[in-house]
Amino acid sequence: MEMGALVVTAGGDVTSTAPGSSLWAPAWPVLGQTVLERWIKMVRGLGVGLVSVVDRAEQQSNRVHTMIEWAREGVERILLIVLGSYAEIDLCDLVRFHYEGQHQVTRVFDQEGPLGISLLDRGCVLGHRERAIHEPHSHSSRYDFLGYVIRLSSTVSYRQLVEDALQGRCGIRPTGIQTRERVWIDQTAFVDPSVQIEAPCYIGPRARVRASVRIRGCSSIERDCDIDLGTTLDHTSILPNTYVAPGLYVRESVVDGTKLENLARGVELDLGTAGLLARIGNPQPTTSGRPVQVSPDQELPLSGAEAQQS
Amino acid sequence: MPPSPVTVMQLPDLSDPSAHRSFLREVKKFMDSSRQPRLIVDLSTVGQIAPESIDLLLECVDQAERSDGEVSVAGASRETEVILELTQATSVLNIFPSVLEAANGSQPQVA
Repeated sequence: MEMGALVVTAGGDVTSTAPGSSLWAPAWPVLGQTVLERWIKMVRGLGVGLVSVVDRAEQQSNRVHTMIEWAREGVERILLIVLGSYAEIDLCDLVRFHYEGQHQVTRVFDQEGPLGISLLDRGCVLGHRERAIHEPHSHSSRYDFLGYVIRLSSTVSYRQLVEDALQGRCGIRPTGIQTRERVWIDQTAFVDPSVQIEAPCYIGPRARVRASVRIRGCSSIERDCDIDLGTTLDHTSILPNTYVAPGLYVRESVVDGTKLENLARGVELDLGTAGLLARIGNPQPTTSGRPVQVSPDQELPLSGAEAQQS
Repeated sequence: MPPSPVTVMQLPDLSDPSAHRSFLREVKKFMDSSRQPRLIVDLSTVGQIAPESIDLLLECVDQAERSDGEVSVAGASRETEVILELTQATSVLNIFPSVLEAANGSQPQVA
């Protein structure tokens, strides 16, 4: 087999808040799809037949074991993606660079440093075993990437990615139908005719946007949300399965269930008991750290997590 | 023309209905006895304002409007500022960083 791809997600429960950061969690969808799903789509686009997603919380030796096993089974090259960024890398060009240069390990850098993406040769994985995988920089070549990159480590960077996507500053295209210029509304969403929408904006599957709601400033509403009467969303993202009470003015914020992070003031609040926000529906279950097998044409779980395609 | 009378009050304990009633009585008395009264509510000891307290502030605004007066809040925490903005209470309240600035009649904060 030509190539395998191992994607390492953020540690622990992918829907939980990342350690040391704000409300941000890696499983947040960006206009309908998580960053993990977008990475896997890119890898699939490369024609990679073997894709495995593992949790960073898993013992590193398990990851190493997977890679060595693949190498033993004849996988020639392994693309290792440690998720920490969204980067629109031309993976074909990366493979060409690696192949033509006859490099054993190629690591991808942007102007700020390494992006956590490495391409490793089979011989390197088998020959150097643990050292090669633990320390891919020890004898690696450098692939400099100058395209669109955003490091996802906080709610602020998440909002930046949403705005960049809605403004067309990166290659992310929202799911759903473009009903007018830079306004994407999923076919299954309900939007009352009185809703005022200022482009660009995104409204995801099964979202309910009630009468007299105003949406502006690159706001996004992910799947299964309910925005109640007369509320205004301004430079705000509403994450899946969130209810927002009537008559509110939500500005420069990201809302996830009962929690709101206001980016302008750097404040995180739980407004569940105040009755202003609520978690509704059944959020998709999270998974443990073990890889899960899925068929090549199977849709990835929306909440991210693990998937293995073979 | 004499300056508008100013009074500074703190929000009552929400769990005490009599304190709540007494607070509103005091506000009404102040508003009724003054022309263009200015009530300043000191929020400096409030960590995160409760929805009931916002209702109380809006009752104060209602009373003030009958006397051509105004209500300001001062010393709100960042959490309280977010909630005041979220509930759109900032559209009827003047927001000041401190009681002193509110009393001096400085320009209110932009919500």
